[in-house]
Amino acid sequence: MNALREKARELLATKTVQVVIGYAPGSGGAARALFVREAAQAGELVFDETCLQNLAAYLMKPEVRRLGRAALVARPATLRTILQLAAENQLAESSLLALVPGADGVLSLSTFSAIEAHVAAQDNDLSAAEKSELEKFAAMGLDERREFWQEQFSRCLKCYACRAACPLCYCTRCTVECNQPQWIPVPAHDLGNLEWNVMRAMHLAGRCTNCGDCSRACPVGIPLYLLNQKLCSDVLSSFNQRSGMAARADHSLSTFKPDDPEDFIR
Amino acid sequence: MARIGVFICHCGENISATVDVKQVAAAAARIPGVAHSVEYKYMCSDPGQQLVKDAIREKGLTGVVVAACSPRMHEPTFRRACAETGLNPFLCEMANIREHCSWVHEKGDATTEKAIDIVRTLVAKVKKNKALQPIQVPVTKVALVIGGGIAGIQASLDIANAGHRVILVEREPSIGGHMSQLSETFPTLDCSQCILTPRMVEVAQHPNITLYSYAELESLDGFIGNFKARIRRKARSLDETLCTGCGLCTQKCPTRKIPGEFDAGLGLRPAIYVPFPQAVPNKPVIDREHCTYYRTGKCRLCEKICPTQAIRFDQLDEIVEVEVGAVVVATGFDIKHGDFFPEYGYGKYPDVIDGLQFERLASASGPTLGEIRRPSDGKVPETVVFVACAGSRDPAKGIEYCSKICCMYTAKHAMLYRHKVHGGKPYVFYMDIRAGGKMYEEFVRRAMEEDGVQYVRGRISRVFERDGKLVVKGADTLLGARPMEIEADLVVLATAAVAQPGAEELAQKLHVSYDAHRFFSEAHPKLRPVETNTAGIFLAGACQAPKDIPESVAQASGAAAKVAALFSRSELVREPLIAVVDRQPPPVYSSCVGCFLCQSACPYQAIEKEEIRGRDGQLIKTVARVNPGLCQGCGTCVAFCRTKSIDIQGFSHEQVHAEVLALLNRGERDA
Repeated sequence: MNALREKARELLATKTVQVVIGYAPGSGGAARALFVREAAQAGELVFDETCLQNLAAYLMKPEVRRLGRAALVARPATLRTILQLAAENQLAESSLLALVPGADGVLSLSTFSAIEAHVAAQDNDLSAAEKSELEKFAAMGLDERREFWQEQFSRCLKCYACRAACPLCYCTRCTVECNQPQWIPVPAHDLGNLEWNVMRAMHLAGRCTNCGDCSRACPVGIPLYLLNQKLCSDVLSSFNQRSGMAARADHSLSTFKPDDPEDFIR
Repeated sequence: MARIGVFICHCGENISATVDVKQVAAAAARIPGVAHSVEYKYMCSDPGQQLVKDAIREKGLTGVVVAACSPRMHEPTFRRACAETGLNPFLCEMANIREHCSWVHEKGDATTEKAIDIVRTLVAKVKKNKALQPIQVPVTKVALVIGGGIAGIQASLDIANAGHRVILVEREPSIGGHMSQLSETFPTLDCSQCILTPRMVEVAQHPNITLYSYAELESLDGFIGNFKARIRRKARSLDETLCTGCGLCTQKCPTRKIPGEFDAGLGLRPAIYVPFPQAVPNKPVIDREHCTYYRTGKCRLCEKICPTQAIRFDQLDEIVEVEVGAVVVATGFDIKHGDFFPEYGYGKYPDVIDGLQFERLASASGPTLGEIRRPSDGKVPETVVFVACAGSRDPAKGIEYCSKICCMYTAKHAMLYRHKVHGGKPYVFYMDIRAGGKMYEEFVRRAMEEDGVQYVRGRISRVFERDGKLVVKGADTLLGARPMEIEADLVVLATAAVAQPGAEELAQKLHVSYDAHRFFSEAHPKLRPVETNTAGIFLAGACQAPKDIPESVAQASGAAAKVAALFSRSELVREPLIAVVDRQPPPVYSSCVGCFLCQSACPYQAIEKEEIRGRDGQLIKTVARVNPGLCQGCGTCVAFCRTKSIDIQGFSHEQVHAEVLALLNRGERDA
């Protein structure tokens, strides 16, 4: 933690970056995001197992972008998010620097290729617990699955907290806000909730980097990560592509490659 | 307020026999916004069109719905009729109550109800239609012809003779294709090379034709009238401008035992070679795979012997970029080889050969100088069995289609054999004889009746060797499936005609569709046989389906006529039914977030990056832009855009949504 504070201090003092986005203790035992803009403030930074939020979401906010070059305290999913955003033409390489706290100090990754190398070396697979939960879900019959989600979505309030937390929900105009015509109904009724959540899951298919922030943000505890993980694993098995592995990558769902496995068509 | 006119066509009885058109007209009249609703026997007839025109003028219609056949049939008719009155043609829509309703349902109330629903959706749509203006695209009057077989040669000559420049690309060292390998041609038995080589020479000499032989298409971008092609000119390993084609190098090359492609593997050629004496261009090429110098680093004999010092061992492939307005694909076909017929011993016994190999045996320029001698020992065969439909029309082999040329060339082969070997006994095993074509049936009958070819209706089960003879086991199905066994000296298989091995890859480069057998797909099987579904790309010859020479030539001339028609104007008018990306006033500029996932989804490379800059030149936003010349209006990008920032003109979100609502809300009307 001290190494991280030291690094932040140095980056700000040398004006290498204008802001360090990291974690500070928040309420209820959770960590919150901290924007360190003065070297003196770097001591407030913490990094421990409570620091779960994917801070890459802030990179897409215009008010954060205006601050200047940012150093981002990055967890494994954060690094993948950075690469995914880059692949979607949303990030300039010069606009950020990733700080990866580890056992022996802080790693500072200033280029996309450095991030790519780091991501390639880390374990990007789902954890054993996640896998077993997904298998349980996959084992459900179609009717059972529909019932499960209908029950889950019936509690959705359409507060859009999942969207606000998601670093890949960076659209300035979301589909639900298109009202000429209004394809997705606004009211929080069963059909509207289903359409909204399915639409969001589809928009994240092949893009989601599995940070889990949507589920943590949901005030009624809908396990949205299940939907996203399922789609991620389907994209991986169908198109042999994992999101957020490279800063220049074609989107698996919009790109035809002659060597796509495509087992589902043949 | 919308004033929509609805015009319901009986289509003779095609619609009115199952749909109560009067009821449809009455129901349409009750739809809000409909100012005029009539039915008529033939709306596409002159008086029918007049009904539309008069109503537009008299009732001041703001939109027209013609409920009749598919828009693929008469949409242009009615749009032109509307335009004549001054109504924007894109304010006219077709409600397809024939293909989508009357033809596919029984007569009854439900069918009429459906017709009303279809009309209702189109009325809802046309209310949201906007006046659109056609798009004008410039045309580069240069054609690219891919493939220098007879189809490519014919297409090139026709386009060149129409006064346009042609770039002809041929993969092999010489143009000529399969036709140059043939001995004689049916049904006239004139020598193939004698009729082909004058055309080849004409190509070489034509001032409008640029020939790139030993070259392949690397990539094709762009759109009708404005393609950019990259052509890879493979290294011949010699300077073509210096080479005089004297042939000394090919005579002196020490590596001489390479099975020649031109002789279908029956003859041998050196490592530096010209495929055949009349090759165009008559310049050799070094086969680097077999050349001693490339394999061992020693030799260079050709370099020493060349009187003009034309050999270039270090030559690299060269990429040529050209701009063309149209493309004719004439890449031809291949025949099935190898272990596809284990039951016939093809590939196992040297005297079981394919039709193309027989052509070389019968050809004066072939390895036997035109004498029929079997490959194994050079003996003149006394009995020859010809097997038609080897692979073709055989679902078990995965080739359901008829290869079309085999019946005729097998008759020709048997005839040529009889002409050259007077005492010879030819047998033809066949399933059916398909000799549809001018003088074709007469040709086959001549083989049977005058030349004494024994035709046996039945299939061959097996070919095996016994005491130096090939035993052919089959059955004569016209004589009660009597089993037959013939001891033959030579077996000729009319193997199935199949697509070129690289056809799928080429189709993907060109963005044209292909069928399950990798033959390229025409835009319409009957009415648009030479066009592909990609505008500006045309088909000629056997790359589309197996074809004989007259058909290939006819299609090539057809494709050339299409190209000449395209080049007859310097600008091209296209329908404006294309995608557009949202643009708004500042400070939003566009709802596009510039993720460009649409870019890779677009099958036509129509999506570009546009940088929106302020007055000070500062970059504000990079957003997508659709190139109106390239876009084909397929809508893939629309489905892909998360922010719904792309719309198709004429099929906008608003229009489609209105159609869906019109269907969903039909209950309210019934209540």
